[in-house]
Amino acid sequence: MVSTLSYLVSGLLIGAAFGFVLQRGRFCVNSAFREVLFQDYTMLRAYLLAVAVAMIGANLIEDIGLLGHYENGVFVAGQLYRQAFAPWANIVGGYLFGMGIVLAGGCGSGILYRVGEGNLAYVLAVCGFVYGIVITKFGILKPVYDELIKTVVFIGPNDDVIPTLDNIIGVNKWIVITIIAAILLFVVYQGKPFQKAKKGYSWSIAGFLVGLMAVAAFWASGYFSGRARGLSFTGPVREFFLAVFFGNSQAAVGDKTQTLLGITYSWSSLYVLAVPIGAYISGKLLKEVKLKVPPADELLKVFLGGSIMGIGAQIGGGCNIGHSLTGVSTLAVSSWVANIFIILGNWTMVYFLLIRPMRDLEV
Amino acid sequence: MSIKTATPDQTLDTLGRVCPYPLLLTKKALEKLSSGQTIKILCDAPASAEDTIPRFAEKQGYGFEAVKLEDKGYWELFIKKS
Repeated sequence: MVSTLSYLVSGLLIGAAFGFVLQRGRFCVNSAFREVLFQDYTMLRAYLLAVAVAMIGANLIEDIGLLGHYENGVFVAGQLYRQAFAPWANIVGGYLFGMGIVLAGGCGSGILYRVGEGNLAYVLAVCGFVYGIVITKFGILKPVYDELIKTVVFIGPNDDVIPTLDNIIGVNKWIVITIIAAILLFVVYQGKPFQKAKKGYSWSIAGFLVGLMAVAAFWASGYFSGRARGLSFTGPVREFFLAVFFGNSQAAVGDKTQTLLGITYSWSSLYVLAVPIGAYISGKLLKEVKLKVPPADELLKVFLGGSIMGIGAQIGGGCNIGHSLTGVSTLAVSSWVANIFIILGNWTMVYFLLIRPMRDLEV
Repeated sequence: MSIKTATPDQTLDTLGRVCPYPLLLTKKALEKLSSGQTIKILCDAPASAEDTIPRFAEKQGYGFEAVKLEDKGYWELFIKKS
């Protein structure tokens, strides 16, 4: 049993550090995917580097037995949490989420950390995100959600193994990791990662640090909550707001929660709170924090985008961090499929929202 | 001569706009300018001001200069189309 204080402080620290790195590094998965269409691969390379670091680091700490928690003073080794493969949910949810992030002007982590920079649009994006998650998990869209998550694919002789990239082809996971990491790092290397940035973090440092944070979160979530779910935002945002609204995070079975002043929190819900705080500290040091607000139509679009993100992320089982960074690094098939559809959804919306209007303007 | 000391041919205000509108509006405005003209952009989205807009200008081979107005919390970006 870990003390309430260490539980609280560790959660807040991980979140604040992540928010700080995101703000400082201008890290954004939304623009990483989007800018590919405009032949700019800088942010994509930062993202790929983060994935490579997270994948190698997370599997390494799993294999050398660092992952785990103490149960009555005895260390219990843990495993990386790999998400079950629900094809329809992963496809539909991922695609919706990918479209939503373009409208909202930021991804799951992006809208949270930009709250700390002072743009009120992102407060609305987060509200939309929560709204979308709640109506899907508990409300009017629950029937659709239940239908989509009904189909779950397992493999193995007893039909009980969660499919991963390595077990579906039956090879050691390190072969798969080595091949993927080699490809990712080759693409990263094309972008001259060792060139120093003029100011702030260079894209390569930002990507590297985000990857390290993902590994740290795997370790910390395993140690403090007993389940190494790693860094994600959909579930934790929901758990944070459920604690705020109803006094209980309603975390998944197996997650060790802690109760403080009568309110029950999951460990992951705590870092959600700290991400904007970390970004605020970074922004304040750089003198970039200012309260600002976009025009009304853009506010509306951002709220709509946030809601679509929430609906998509709840259906698909994760956002651009939960799936595209954390999930992908566990080699879970669910996250790879969801990530592909997040990218396709992103490109679809970029075409309709950004490319077509610009082309029409030229005529 | 430095780009920022010249009188800009156009001033574009993107204050408050969310990502990626500052970049998009900049691209649109630059399309309409002729070669040799300059534009001044007011931008308060850190990622756009320090990341996407300068990188776009650099890739196009346009002249780029930036002034961070720390007391006001935004940037003045100057781009010269070439």
